Parts: sequence; C-alpha cells; structure tokens
Amino acid sequence: MATKNGIDPAKGLGWGTFLAGFVPGLLQYQLGQKSKAGLAFLSCFALFFAGWMIVGERLFYWALFAADDKGGLANGMVRFGMMTLPEVINLPANVLGSVLAFDGTPTGLRNQRNPRDFEHFAAWLTGASGMLAAFWAAQGHWHLRLRRDEKHLAEGAKPVASPALCAGLSWLVPGLGHAKAGQKDKGVLLCIAVATVFAFGLFFSGGHAVDRAQYSVWWIGQNLFGGGSLFASLVTGPWRTGATPIDLDLGIVLCTVAGLMNLVVMCDAYTVAERSLFPLGGAPANDDDSASSGKTAATEGAPTQSAAGEGTAGEDTAGEATA
Amino acid sequence: MSLLFRFAVFIPVLFLIACVVVGQQHATAREVMQAAAGRTARWLIWAAVLLLMMTVADVAIIGW
Repeated sequence: MATKNGIDPAKGLGWGTFLAGFVPGLLQYQLGQKSKAGLAFLSCFALFFAGWMIVGERLFYWALFAADDKGGLANGMVRFGMMTLPEVINLPANVLGSVLAFDGTPTGLRNQRNPRDFEHFAAWLTGASGMLAAFWAAQGHWHLRLRRDEKHLAEGAKPVASPALCAGLSWLVPGLGHAKAGQKDKGVLLCIAVATVFAFGLFFSGGHAVDRAQYSVWWIGQNLFGGGSLFASLVTGPWRTGATPIDLDLGIVLCTVAGLMNLVVMCDAYTVAERSLFPLGGAPANDDDSASSGKTAATEGAPTQSAAGEGTAGEDTAGEATA
Repeated sequence: MSLLFRFAVFIPVLFLIACVVVGQQHATAREVMQAAAGRTARWLIWAAVLLLMMTVADVAIIGW
C-alpha cells in the first residue's frame, strides 16, 4: 500500500542507515546537524556512565548470556557488552564501559554478583541510555526519510509533531506521544491500559516483579515502559525481599506484558505523527471492527500541520478521507 | 479459588491488551473501547476453545 504521496512506506533506507543508528549522533552528523549530533552522543554517554559508575562490571552480569572463563563467541560478545540490552543500542558507550570494567577472571566474575548500593536506579540509567540512543536513531532516520521523500510533499508541510519525540514521550508516559500528536483521549486510554497492567504486576508480586538484579531478562521487556521501570527502580526495587510472594510469577509476566504493550503504543505514536505528513492511501483496514465503523486505519491519523499553520485533532479529521 | 482468581485477572488484562492492539486502527478512545470489547470477546472464545482442547488432550493422554 502506497501513501497518498505515492511513496511505498515499507521502503527502508538500507542496512547502512540501520547500523549507523547504533552510534548516537552519527545519523545527525550525516544530515549535517552537527550540534544535534554532539548532543545525541553526549546525552547517551552521560546517561550510560552515570549508571556505569555505580554498577560497573555488574552491568554485564545482566547480559542475555552469562560470561565464563572458557572463551567462545557468546562469551566474547558478553565481554564486549554486545549482549546487554537495551544498552547495546548505545554501542560505543557500552563497548567502552565493558572494556573498562569487565574482568573475565574467576575473581572478577564472582565480583559481578555482588550487589551495589543504588544499583536499581543505576541499572535504569544505563538502560535509559540505550533507549535514548534508539530515539535519537529514530529522529535521524525520520529526517533522512524526509530528505529522500520531500519532493513528494507540499512546500512547507510539517508533521504535527516529531515522530521520534512522540515515541520517546510514550516510553516515559504511555499515551503522551499520542497527546502530543493530537489524539489526547486515545492517549489517556492507552496510558490507563499500560499503567493498569503494570500496576497489577507490581501488586501481585508485592513490588518485586521489576528487579533487574533478580530477573534481568524479564526486565528487558519491562523496561519498554520507562516510566514504570523508573518508578520500580526508585520505589519498589530497593524493598527487602522476605518470603517469595505467592503470585510472583504472575506479577513478573504482567509487568513484562505491560512493557510489550507500551512497545506497541510507542510504535503507534510514531506512526500517528508520521502519517500526519505521509497519510496512507484509501485501502480499508484489515479489521472487522474498523470496517464496521466505516473508517480506515490509513485515514485515522493525526492532522497535517500545513504551512498555513492549520492543525486539528486527529479525531476531527478522521473521517475526511475515508475510502 | 486460585483458578477463579486467575480468570478475574485474565479478563480485564485481555481487554486492556485489546485496547492497545486495536488502538492502532482507531483515533478516538470511544472507538478504541468499542472495538476492544469485540476483540476481547473473540479472544475469550479462542481461549475457551484452547482450554477445552487442552482438557481433552489431558484426559486422553493422562486420564481423568
């Protein structure tokens, strides 16, 4: 399905652009936005090393694979921080942090297991650096796409909001990106949905579901709701664990589901802002519910903010271009 | 009792997940909630079918 401007939205910018996104600021540098490139690089580095100074080599204990002293490819990837999510998206800082901190000797590997003071918040900071790098990459990708497709746009046409900013806001507060893009009531509903499932998870687990030190792989999914994982890292994470709550498993799964729900919300916030500039063509949505309401997914985006400064809420414009 | 408790959690959570899933195809909260209610009902039917199949397989393989 092409956009109304005749562009295939599935056409990407290639592997080079994708891989360049792993170095914060590189896409902005390619675009000639040198101050933004510096800001992206420094902000991601600062966040990472603010957390790294507290957790140090323990960060790499939370990788997808446990390192040992036997060598091998997986061990090498852990050694260079390639298996630490989401920090790996902020690749230069993560590699530097692992090279500086990683001690592969048996003593070093044992030290990784020692808890640190404030490690919950520090772990959130390093994770946030990876997410921030992802949003900077999305911003650079969006501008590269604008540069490629601007010939199809009316002169002076602007999106209602920056798609990457909308996604980033939704990471912290689900639905905030939708509100920024003009879909306020839908944003509130999505916020309630994600936050309720996350709160259920914390409640059933007695506050212990979101703990990177204990459940590091689950935490990768839970951290997709950044506001929730920040709350947990500051409030519930440091709580002492007594007896294991009977519904701990349910709580862990619910908090992870909430994070994955928020991934959908972030992608949708990006798409709503994107479609304000690149609305899809008029093919009907592949959904019974939307078909019955006579609206299409393509046309239900947020408003286009034209050069004349006209901008209306997404719900007001939703029916205008129905197929 | 535990099974009832899990159902009491499952149904509202299913509805909230449906809100996020169908939210991608609608622009207003009202449309999203209406579509999510229908989607939740459909998912519940599939969940019941799955539960029935698992029970049948359980009885067939392990016995009553």
